Amino acid sequence: MQKKSTEVLVIGGGVTGCGVLFDLAQRGFKATLLERGALSMGTSGRFHGLLHSGGRYAVNDPDAAHECIVENQILRKVMPHCIEDTGGMFVSTPDDPPEFADEFYQACHKVSIPATEISIEEMLRREPLLNPKIRRVFTVPDASVETWDACRSLVVSAAEHGAETLEFHEVTELLKEGNKVVGAVAINKVTGETVTITADLIVSAVGAWGGRLAAMADCDVTVHAGKGTMIAMNYRMVNTVVNRCVHPSGSDGDIIVPIGTVAVIGTTSVRVDDPDNYPIEEWEVKLMMEEGEKMVPSFRKFRALRAWAGVRPLYQEKGAASDLRAVTRKYALLDHSPRDGVDNFVTITGGKWTTYRMMAEDTVDLVCKKLDTTRACRTAETTLHNPHGESKYHTLGSRLQKLETGEFDGQLICECEIVTRNQIEANLATNDRHIINDLRRDLRVGMGPCQGGFCTYRVAGLMHKNKQLTTQQTNKALVDFLQERWKGMNTVLWGQHLRQMQLDEGIYMGVLGLDKLPPGLSGIDEKRVAEVETEGYYEVS
Amino acid sequence: MSLYDTVVIGAGLAGLTTACHLQNKGQRVMLIGHGVGALVLGSGCIDVLGYQPVESVEPVRAWPDKLSSFMADHPQHPYSLLGETKINEALHAFQGLTETEYQQNGSENWLVPSAVGAIHPTCLAPPSIAKGHLGDTASMLIVGFEELRDFYPALISQNISAQNLGIETESLTLNLPEPGASKLNITPIELATLFEQADFRQQLVSVIKARCQDYDRIGFPAVLGLGRHAKVVVDLEKQLGRPVFEVGTLPPSVPGRRLFEALKHTFVQAKGRMNIGTKVVAGEVKDGRVTQVQIETTNRLKPIIAENYVLATGGILGGGIQTDDQGRVWEPVFNLPIDHNSNRQTWFTPKFLSPVGQPVSSYGVVVNDRLNPIEDTRPIADNLYIVGSLLAHADWTQGRTGYGVALTTAKHVADLLG
Repeated sequence: MQKKSTEVLVIGGGVTGCGVLFDLAQRGFKATLLERGALSMGTSGRFHGLLHSGGRYAVNDPDAAHECIVENQILRKVMPHCIEDTGGMFVSTPDDPPEFADEFYQACHKVSIPATEISIEEMLRREPLLNPKIRRVFTVPDASVETWDACRSLVVSAAEHGAETLEFHEVTELLKEGNKVVGAVAINKVTGETVTITADLIVSAVGAWGGRLAAMADCDVTVHAGKGTMIAMNYRMVNTVVNRCVHPSGSDGDIIVPIGTVAVIGTTSVRVDDPDNYPIEEWEVKLMMEEGEKMVPSFRKFRALRAWAGVRPLYQEKGAASDLRAVTRKYALLDHSPRDGVDNFVTITGGKWTTYRMMAEDTVDLVCKKLDTTRACRTAETTLHNPHGESKYHTLGSRLQKLETGEFDGQLICECEIVTRNQIEANLATNDRHIINDLRRDLRVGMGPCQGGFCTYRVAGLMHKNKQLTTQQTNKALVDFLQERWKGMNTVLWGQHLRQMQLDEGIYMGVLGLDKLPPGLSGIDEKRVAEVETEGYYEVS
Repeated sequence: MSLYDTVVIGAGLAGLTTACHLQNKGQRVMLIGHGVGALVLGSGCIDVLGYQPVESVEPVRAWPDKLSSFMADHPQHPYSLLGETKINEALHAFQGLTETEYQQNGSENWLVPSAVGAIHPTCLAPPSIAKGHLGDTASMLIVGFEELRDFYPALISQNISAQNLGIETESLTLNLPEPGASKLNITPIELATLFEQADFRQQLVSVIKARCQDYDRIGFPAVLGLGRHAKVVVDLEKQLGRPVFEVGTLPPSVPGRRLFEALKHTFVQAKGRMNIGTKVVAGEVKDGRVTQVQIETTNRLKPIIAENYVLATGGILGGGIQTDDQGRVWEPVFNLPIDHNSNRQTWFTPKFLSPVGQPVSSYGVVVNDRLNPIEDTRPIADNLYIVGSLLAHADWTQGRTGYGVALTTAKHVADLLG
């Protein structure tokens, strides 16, 4: 058993946990982060990719709206390489209540969101595929944000201040001495090794899983899991974030976010009991396609690439009513010492991706208070380290330009997303895991229309060669990645995408015979296959 | 009088073979293909029955011995409809159809390596592929190229070794000589044209020769020439002094392309009419007979009239069956009935590499024993015939029967009409 000690232990590698880690490290704390999977693998990796302007909450939750616009402006400065300034529009379609438009406009201005009304002509000039029957349009400073780059940037920047990040480490136990939490036991899911980490303070930043973790410290915390389902369409039918101008409660499938090479539509809101098990239902897919048509009439003509779902953490105060819609989207910071009589333990949950930095700042302020020190937060002024060393890495246009101007001289391995062999080999050299999904998150391998049809074999061949893997490890990486792609596809397979899947089947079964390698060599893990997962465009195992 | 005896729609293996058989029998045949068909996506080998029980991972060796149990398990499969004799006749007829040689391993399958080194059981293979037979314990060196991203020799050789077949296997990855060296993203088809150049081969041989002395045979990616393939192989074998074989790559498949070209050549030599790049958009059925099909031209729909019509447009992959988000499944030319469940959740299994197949892949047109499409038990049109993957209950993943079905149904229609 490995033993470590740190000052502050952060549990959860979503954007909140990564944000807390960076803030702690920058304020001089010795900090360690544990994440059970890869960074951004939970809710942070399963959202639209929307950096809110706050417009969506302006009418019904002005405080949350104000937080969004303030943080929106800050994040543009501190993580410019993760953000595409798409701008946003709120559109009032013939299906939407006309009176809401004025209410929306006024509410935005009350919380300093610079909403501007433009003409329908101007809207169509900017976004020709939008519904010409839309009656009113307001522009707002929405943007799209690349979550993996953001989380990676945060931990890389934190590491520069000495912080440590342990991915694929699942916490199995919180260590207590009397009323104090003094550390955690985690299992390394790659090696199977157990690690014990002692700390002066533990921060729980595990979102919808917050109740489970708090229970390990004998604290009673209720965090509901609110499932939201999204679909990635294989075309940026809009280059601006488009929101329906409607009251957000009771409205589903009303946002389209252009991000990377795709446009993402979402979302639904369904309470689920288990944050690890929430299948996508057919009605959700149907609803997205129908709602999409209201904004972009040709919506159905584009190919639905992948569906996935995430679980919003919805914190419920002790003794509060259990209506999900009434649960605030504002975040909750819990000091378990006064609340539950458990010392050295703090929970941060709820909130939105957009406000992660503010949540981290509040959390670390509380940490300072509890550790009896005063250290100023500087995360609003510090530009994060860019792990790719270049801006606009995640847009296809920048890669295409490099390809066409000869700047990319390597072999093209993933043609859909324009990823070269040089990039893959450089990435393999920095990573000791044998998971093709890691390359997907870092480089976007396998995320295009063929969903890994050609590049999975190529990447596996390169991994085998460069990392001297056994064939069994290689076969397993290959099969696992194909299976993960399948999980996000089979809810949206019809038309051309179904043809594509049959081509992929032809390649891996017909041409390669991967399914007929002897058991033990093939890497097909029946248990993994049997797990009901809702892995999407963004996610893994 | 019609201009044509038979119109064949679809240029995959089923359509081309039907067209060749009929034209050879003296019919006036028109072949219309929307694209070049799916042959370039396959291995170029003719799989008849590779696994039985179908979910087994143990390849079938003597496939005729397993046919009856396969048919018993799959009573609606086209094999069960047409019987073993027809399958054998179809294989025999295919072997004489083109100038390209296809070999049978007696009554056993060839067991050839795939591009991951898995065993691919297949009935008929070009000699260049058959020489990689894993039932033969002659040692092998698998050669690949840094520039070819669609073939990884070390993975192939190590997976073969890991299966303990008693074959000593090693790999060698080389850089291509000029003019291949600068082509980072070379496709198998492009590389095949380079192999047709004598000086290119000469340069390669000079590198490989010294390193292949310990091996009985040498495996290359399946890029050993297109039209001059046979000469390329003879030359390499002569220069290297040992048998040379091919292992499939990711698509496009060079052996598949050779087969497409060979069938096309046979058909055109026999004076068949061929129209590739044209879409048949509709067909008309009156009083139980097809009266015409219509093709897309620049400014109008043009009727094509024949005595008989063969629909070989493929399954979902080929475009012969279409689907949408509402769970609709249809055949786009004649709107033939396709029995299906409109709840899309029933179309798939949770597993991508599914041993029992995706249910949607069995969707297709139901036919009688003359391969006429039927509604209930009544033929919809008695001069319309369905061949290949458009047929219902013919998911090729189940037993690896796809090309066997294509050849057998093509032969059956040729016998009925010729």
